[in-house]
Amino acid sequence: MKICLVCSHGGHLAEMIQLQEAFEGHETFFITYASARTRELERKYLLRNIGTNPLLMACALFSIFRILRAEKPKLIISTGAEIAIPTFYLAKLFRMKTIFIESWTRVIKPTGTGRIVYPVSDVFLVQWERLLTKYGKKAKYEGAIV
Amino acid sequence: MILVTVGMHTAGFERLIRKMDEVATTINEEIIMQIGHTKYTPRNAQYFQFTTAEELKALCHEARVVVTHGAMTILDALEQGTPVVVVPRLKRYKEVIDDHQLDFARELEKEGKVIAVYDVEELEGALKKPDLKPRELAKDRRLVNALKAYIARFEQN
Repeated sequence: MKICLVCSHGGHLAEMIQLQEAFEGHETFFITYASARTRELERKYLLRNIGTNPLLMACALFSIFRILRAEKPKLIISTGAEIAIPTFYLAKLFRMKTIFIESWTRVIKPTGTGRIVYPVSDVFLVQWERLLTKYGKKAKYEGAIV
Repeated sequence: MILVTVGMHTAGFERLIRKMDEVATTINEEIIMQIGHTKYTPRNAQYFQFTTAEELKALCHEARVVVTHGAMTILDALEQGTPVVVVPRLKRYKEVIDDHQLDFARELEKEGKVIAVYDVEELEGALKKPDLKPRELAKDRRLVNALKAYIARFEQN
């Protein structure tokens, strides 16, 4: 199955790499930000860091639309951050399945991204049990990377 | 060698880099810093902006102790068996969007995985402590296994 892995280029990427064993046997590609750390990834689309810039968010939305239309992954998995927002809403449009994994660094406070993608995620996982109280029934705790 | 890292965050982490640059003048040990987007230029310690994951891992392995913000480099260091001193980025200094790094550092400190330092004035003292060795890291298999199960389920539908 073709799986799209979406994450920003620092710690969120590190978390995705920690989970890569789960994707073995599947065809994967990344949508991430350009940096020293993402250059070495095998199959990837590199975007400019969106941050909180609405104009860059609009550009990213357009780029990701074209990537998803061409690649047609069946499943999209993200460990954050904001790059997941346009991707998950477009996934809804393309009827692709999504799994969001909240960061290991989030013990009691949800991320802005988590709150925004929660309604459109098919599977929503947190890495600390206490964080479940901040999300709805869909959120699940199924262990953490450590 | 002491490795200092502050990650990719666009805010930089001047409070930590400035203090460690000061520590470099009094401590009898080499200090190497990954400063990221920090605007302050270190005068006393070696530094670079960013590097590859592989190079960072090698530096974490080589270091006696890794000093880092409350984020994923902690795991890089712990995987290498290197003790970690965590200085969480704080919202009040505009170093991060909220105080989640503070919650995270407190939690890992409680679990005996890291030494947490909340006031940079206490950094030098913490670095000189002999009992920095962390508890052995136990990987949690549950999340990888859960993901495999979800992926298998989506593959069938």
